[in-house]
Amino acid sequence: MIKLIGAIFIILSSSLIGMKVASYYVLRSTQLRQLQVALQWLETQIVYGSTPLHVALNHIAVRMNGDVRYLFAAAADALTHLKEASTRECWESAIEKEWHKTALRKPEKEVLLQLGQVLGQSNREDQQKHIRLALMNLKSEEDVARAQQQKYEKMCRSLGLLGGLLVVILLY
Amino acid sequence: MTEDVYLILPDTVRNRLAKMSSSEIHRIEEIRLRIGLPVEVVIENRSFFLDEGQRFGKEEATILMNRLSMHSLYTLEEEIRRGYITIKGGHRVGIAGKVVLDRGNVKHIRDVASFNIRIARQILGAANGVLPLLVEKGQVKSTLIISPPQCGKTTLIRDIARQLSYGTKGFPGKKVSIVDERSEIAGCVNGIPQKDVGPRTDVMDGCPKAEGMMMMIRSMSPDVIITDEMGRPEDSYAIEEAIHAGIAVITTVHGKNLKDVMRRPVLSRLAQSGVFQRYLILGRQPRVGTITFMYDENLAECRFRVAK
Repeated sequence: MIKLIGAIFIILSSSLIGMKVASYYVLRSTQLRQLQVALQWLETQIVYGSTPLHVALNHIAVRMNGDVRYLFAAAADALTHLKEASTRECWESAIEKEWHKTALRKPEKEVLLQLGQVLGQSNREDQQKHIRLALMNLKSEEDVARAQQQKYEKMCRSLGLLGGLLVVILLY
Repeated sequence: MTEDVYLILPDTVRNRLAKMSSSEIHRIEEIRLRIGLPVEVVIENRSFFLDEGQRFGKEEATILMNRLSMHSLYTLEEEIRRGYITIKGGHRVGIAGKVVLDRGNVKHIRDVASFNIRIARQILGAANGVLPLLVEKGQVKSTLIISPPQCGKTTLIRDIARQLSYGTKGFPGKKVSIVDERSEIAGCVNGIPQKDVGPRTDVMDGCPKAEGMMMMIRSMSPDVIITDEMGRPEDSYAIEEAIHAGIAVITTVHGKNLKDVMRRPVLSRLAQSGVFQRYLILGRQPRVGTITFMYDENLAECRFRVAK
């Protein structure tokens, strides 16, 4: 009887681990999608609204769903409160601080950091070009992430379950 | 010097200014910053360099630009194209540097290397002496103020606007429209005047004078239109239009005396058609903003006594 309960526990926990790993793949592509929506919104606010950067970022932080918004909230906060820092430093500090809350990876971090170097530093036309470029890069990252998701999501789930089963069989 | 200017200066520049005495700081007229050169301060038309060894650096210029634009240079496209930025409090920051052209027109100033921060001070009551000369039986007279540069004509017409708008014992407040082409009179930020120009005053900020006056005549039904530094042919057309609509116009022009002004074709035509009912000449003696002469609509010199 006890053996049976133990076996169920092992299978349960290993399949949970599998699901967790799988959900990470899903989360990354979702957040990449959200990041693109956020940047598109930023573009609109800059190009058509001529909204100051900290106000625009705040709008995004308030109205967006998902963990991506923490990045924008932190950046808006840094721009208003770090008096002596340049725009780039504010942006970088926000990304470093809040990155761990997202499921995003290094390539998209690079894209954002690169955008931070020019954000707010030129006229609208130029800002638009840079944001478009970042969007394009994020889109290609998203495509890669989706492909990975398709490949590994199911596999991780079944691997969790099967791994649990294997342990149980070995121990039984 | 006011808080608003302090807010935009990089900390390093603030530290340099902090070494001056507070009475000096209060009399600062201009702070001039140039990359690679020490900070220059102008007090009562005399210039000083602060800490000659310490030069204004490129990083400081970036910080200043970031603060001016609140990290969003794209919000200042129009201002940069014009070459100056008005900040909170109505102070103006003039900029110079490498210009980017687009089909022969200035598109942008890249690499801003020089900043001239002009500190604006409002002198409430600057028009006390002039006001009785401009208002007769409750009617405001159309006036041309003639003055060499830096004799306080902008300060004067700002206070005229304020006092006409508030009204005094002698007459009720008037509806005043200011057409502020260079954001000097009202010092607007986002369309809101940073100087006190009175409760019945509307400001068209950054608008070409002639066009702005026509817009004001049509849309705001003013009693008085106030504008700065007229001189182009289309300005005179707009002034005539205003006068025919029964609106008094108070404007200024650069010049030393009436003769100077009469040599300019646009102005002499206006003067001969009797558009202006008062001509005031400003001078620096004994102090800035003194009225030296006044003429009536027949260009005859009037004797007047300035109320103290």
